Amino acid sequence: MHEEEEARALLAGGPGEAGRGPPSAPAAAGVLPALCDPSRLAHRLLVLALMCFLGFGSYFCYDNPAALQTQIQRDMQVNTTKFMLLYAWYSWPNVVLCFFGGFLIDRVFGIRWGTIIFSCIVCIGQVVFALGGIFNAFWLMQFGRFIFGIGGESLAVAQNTYAVSWFKGKELNLVFGLQLSMARIGSTVNINLMGWLYATMEASLGSAGYTVLGVTLLIGGITCILSLLCAFALAYLDRRAERILHKEQGKTGEVIKLTDVKDFSFPLWLIFLVCVCYYVAVFPFIGLGKVFFMEKFKFSSQAASAINSVVYIISASLSPVFGLLVDKTGRNIIWVLCAVAVTLVSHMMLAFTLWNPWIAMCLLGVSYSLLACALWPMVAYVVPEHQLGTAYGFMQSIQNLGLAIISIIAGIILDTRGYLFLEVFFIACVSMSLLSVVLLYLVNRARGGNLNFSAKQREEIKLSHTE
Amino acid sequence: MRGSREPGWGWGRCTPSPMLFVSLLLSAAPLGLLGEETRQVSLEVIPGGPGSPKNLLHIRAVGTNSTLHYVWSSLGPPAVLLVATNTPHSSLSVNWSVLLSPEPEEGGLMVVPKDSIQFSSALVFTRLLEFDSTHVSKGPAELPGKPYPPYSLAEFSWDRINGSLDPATLSATFRGRPRDDPAKAFANGSLAFRVQAFSGPGRPSQPPRLLHTANTSQLEVALVGVSPRGNRSLFGLEVATLSQGPSCPFLQEQHSIDDEYAPAVFQLEQLLWGSGPSGFMQWRPVAFSQKQGSRESALPCQLSPLHLTLTYPLPQSPIVRAFFGPQTFCAFNLTFGAPTGPGYWDQLYLSWSMLLGVGSPPVDALSPLVLGIMAVALGTPGLMLLGGGLILLLRHTRYSEYQPLN
Repeated sequence: MHEEEEARALLAGGPGEAGRGPPSAPAAAGVLPALCDPSRLAHRLLVLALMCFLGFGSYFCYDNPAALQTQIQRDMQVNTTKFMLLYAWYSWPNVVLCFFGGFLIDRVFGIRWGTIIFSCIVCIGQVVFALGGIFNAFWLMQFGRFIFGIGGESLAVAQNTYAVSWFKGKELNLVFGLQLSMARIGSTVNINLMGWLYATMEASLGSAGYTVLGVTLLIGGITCILSLLCAFALAYLDRRAERILHKEQGKTGEVIKLTDVKDFSFPLWLIFLVCVCYYVAVFPFIGLGKVFFMEKFKFSSQAASAINSVVYIISASLSPVFGLLVDKTGRNIIWVLCAVAVTLVSHMMLAFTLWNPWIAMCLLGVSYSLLACALWPMVAYVVPEHQLGTAYGFMQSIQNLGLAIISIIAGIILDTRGYLFLEVFFIACVSMSLLSVVLLYLVNRARGGNLNFSAKQREEIKLSHTE
Repeated sequence: MRGSREPGWGWGRCTPSPMLFVSLLLSAAPLGLLGEETRQVSLEVIPGGPGSPKNLLHIRAVGTNSTLHYVWSSLGPPAVLLVATNTPHSSLSVNWSVLLSPEPEEGGLMVVPKDSIQFSSALVFTRLLEFDSTHVSKGPAELPGKPYPPYSLAEFSWDRINGSLDPATLSATFRGRPRDDPAKAFANGSLAFRVQAFSGPGRPSQPPRLLHTANTSQLEVALVGVSPRGNRSLFGLEVATLSQGPSCPFLQEQHSIDDEYAPAVFQLEQLLWGSGPSGFMQWRPVAFSQKQGSRESALPCQLSPLHLTLTYPLPQSPIVRAFFGPQTFCAFNLTFGAPTGPGYWDQLYLSWSMLLGVGSPPVDALSPLVLGIMAVALGTPGLMLLGGGLILLLRHTRYSEYQPLN
């Protein structure tokens, strides 16, 4: 998913140089209210709000299938295997696009047009997805998700680029944190809202079936239109700021060289493995979670939505805290180890007990947030800076590949062998991830690597380098 | 949920010590009910002389110390007698003239020797119900829709079972349709009761894949090709059983973590005729609207509470009456499907299965595959951590030994 920003949130920072306009430029500053003055904080906050809502639509619509699983399967008459293809089709284009999103923004479209174009693609994708419902054509729904996937991930890159361009050297970490929280809120709102929206549409249209589903998804698509409007507004404000402050158009600065892959070290490959094995046991699970809670724990539809979104809620609130914690303590591998182990425990609770699943899901939420904060920055410690873009691109690409494949496998397992076996499969994935972390720890110890340094050790090394 | 569930056959193998024997007697668990691992099963259609077909199927499952008799018949409504004896030599005797009389007396159907009987009970499938799910009635009873007049299974005519008898699978099928069918609903369809006995433990390949033992037999009810009276008709089945004095047998819903054999079904329903191991009826609350029984054709199966049928007359089953004499009955309804989602209307197909047996009901255990994966998944990282830790520790101590040299 959109993890790269989590990484950036923890890596970004540095000396500020952009956006400091010459004092003479806004000669009429006294006349302009602070809100319209690009050099003032109030204006930047307006831009921040626009940036947050820029991503809202795509995050909202990404988990539409999870929120409407029962309705989709019933109205379109598809089994879980076909249902999970909706997630797989989102991931497939991003296996490749992770490498090119930055390139397209920097060299082809520019940030402003890039953002607008990706937003458009997201809108079109959602509309096609909805039309698939209205016309009762499941292949059209899949195609819609494919288009949606093309836009969704690249839009996240564009969103980050805007953030760097406007806030570098100022409130950048906070901005990344807020964007991430907004993304999680989008997912949460979606999961809890769409079921209600479907029921309302069903009542007002007076019929059930695929038409209601299509119309519901189309209404959900309004959030994408909202995001598109934000993209236009941002493009205008960015141009205006360029004119007034002589600010440069933002660039991702990502340089992707696929030949770098041969230089990747063994620990980096292990980090990739940890990442892919972990995320495939979280996102496909959430995609299938709602019905799981309804079937196994006899939750009502609303309660199942609520518990299914708790991972996102916890992530939205705990990510900044854990970011700070990992920053202050270092020892990333230990944190990752803890996160993966707790996830393993939570999946085992879901699989083998009938305990209240709130316990397990809260554990999952906490460990998921911790993992994101500890895992992604590790890449920067094992890769030289000029290869960082390639490494992150590769990591996301593998992750999307894993998600696409595992989504399909998860659907097949569920249809043929049930939830217990599916959970056991996820446990096997997490345990593969755990194995990789342990191996990473051992390799790092044996090689005397820097991955598990405490914050103090890192500080000392930094000092000795600058001396 | 019930506590310890000793697999029944475990007892049969060891020679019980006198103390154990006494305690067994005290625990009032009749020996004949303790079950056996394998049984010699034979199916026999008992001829009823000339005239209209009189389906009477006797399934005899003989173990080393006990015999189970299942007597299935479609005289009157389809019904089954379940009799467990503690001798391998018990047999069934039928007095047709008594059995066919309008009000058969006790003794028309007997299992001899009579004192060897450890347990006996009966199930009668009295009516096929149909509801219009588009009109949810708001009556006191929580019906799944507006009820249509039910089909009384006592007024069905049933095909001869001789042709459907299959000694290889130990199964036979009762297939019937209403004798009087003015709406021609059953013109292209039928209601079928397929009964199957087992000589040993196993699990069928068709969902819901109930685990069976030699002490159980299976019934699969299938409604095929019958024209429903509404667009979204839900069908149901009324099942009656003998009451135990003023009270009804015990209905129990078990929740389990294991849905490997019936995906997404975490419940197991049981009707228990006694508090100890006696007889039971067991099923998963799921029916299927397609022959393959895939998950997308799974229909939920609702269960009404068990109630005494004192207020309205149930169709009488001659075999039950001929074995037990006049009795009071308890009945419950099973309804299959929900107003939305898949349903009988998709392919005019509906099937539902249950087990009938004696002893402790079979309990699913985690499959070897699940246990194997878990062992590998948890064992490998643990071993790795242990092994790696040891190596590092050894290297560390070697390293620190060198240090003084510097």
